[in-house]
Amino acid sequence: MMIAHETFDALAALDVIGTASGEEHRALDGHIAVCEECRRAYDDYAEAASSFARGLVPVAPPAKIRGAVMDGVEPGVEVEEEETAERRRLADARWWLGIAATVFVALWIWREVGMRAAREHIASRDAEIATLTEQNTLLTQRNEKLRNELATVAAAGTRMMSLTGQPIAPSASGRVFVDSARHRAFVIFANLPANGEDKSYQLWILRASQPKPQSAGVFDVSPNGTATLSVENLPADNDVKSMAVTLEPKGGAAEPGNASYYVAGKP
Amino acid sequence: MTTGIGPSSLLPAVAQGDLTAFEALYDRHSGVLYALLLRILSSPEDAQEALQETFLKVWSNAAAFDPSRGSEIAWLIAIARSRGIDRLRSRRVRGERENEAGREISTRTGFVESTTGADHAIASQQRIAVRTALDELPPAQRIALELAYFEGLSQSEIAERTGEPLGTVKTRVLLGMKKLRERLQSYR
Repeated sequence: MMIAHETFDALAALDVIGTASGEEHRALDGHIAVCEECRRAYDDYAEAASSFARGLVPVAPPAKIRGAVMDGVEPGVEVEEEETAERRRLADARWWLGIAATVFVALWIWREVGMRAAREHIASRDAEIATLTEQNTLLTQRNEKLRNELATVAAAGTRMMSLTGQPIAPSASGRVFVDSARHRAFVIFANLPANGEDKSYQLWILRASQPKPQSAGVFDVSPNGTATLSVENLPADNDVKSMAVTLEPKGGAAEPGNASYYVAGKP
Repeated sequence: MTTGIGPSSLLPAVAQGDLTAFEALYDRHSGVLYALLLRILSSPEDAQEALQETFLKVWSNAAAFDPSRGSEIAWLIAIARSRGIDRLRSRRVRGERENEAGREISTRTGFVESTTGADHAIASQQRIAVRTALDELPPAQRIALELAYFEGLSQSEIAERTGEPLGTVKTRVLLGMKKLRERLQSYR
């Protein structure tokens, strides 16, 4: 026990002037916490160590230091509290600002996404309207055409002439509904061979008053070989000698390019 | 431990937030603490900053003072020295060179009294006692102790500085502290 005290007494002597190692310092701390004798020895050494400072000739610090110390004490507490409150206010403000910014960004993004969706929706609807308008125009035109064709077929003075298949297409046929009063006709073709993409069928009218055949229109046949054609400005009945259909370049020709008739007939 | 004759401690009042007591404490001890910090730091600017830090620490930590374990001045000195050595080590890390001028200031500048006549008389009496005790130490022991106390050097650093073996340094520090303790006890 005596050895232990002597050891700690030596450690205390070293520790009070900072020359004990960290391990020695910890061991000493632990010991003097429970050993009154060694704690007193430590306190004595600490008091002795202070003699190095107490032996110095005192030097008055500048007067401003006293003022700074006093200002930094009692008023400093208030200042610190004020600073803390200010920091808290700033932190709160930053917090609210952060939330406001986040909400603003979220609303802006929501608005942008909504507007973009709305714009896309409107564009889609515009495209749909354009398509429907176009379809409506086509249907209107088709309806007008059908109405005219029906009027032609159903007119009181309408007569019919047949076009029969020629050797190149023996099963083909055609029916011409002639409305002489309005100088128009409506032709229905059947069993015509499909024309190629670079070809068109063309109906010719051979007239008594003219040596060259007159084009009455071009048409394409459907996959099942049917087609219709409306003829306007039909010559007078007595001027129409016959009708015939040839296959011509796409869009038709000024006069028949060949004598290969697919269907032909006379009034 | 008690310190014998001396003014009553102001620290209990300071611990209660008594600003007047704190002012009196400053007036009583700032001269010694500033001299100590000048000696350690050799820079008036650094010493003044360390002195402010010391008293702010004292103000906020006065309740930790236990008069049964030592004197008021020893407690204040321990705080000031710790601040000074911390600054000194920090400065060493930054590679700053010491300014020897400060060391001269601590010995040349006269003390402007702000304490009472009685306090001054007691302080002077004690200073003479500790100076005597220090002067009675063998020079080698005193040098080793001062290197540790004022410069914060470890035993191995003192050995390197003085060119003495580490064991010799340790013995000198131990013997020096024991003698100092005995001498000062005999003065009380």
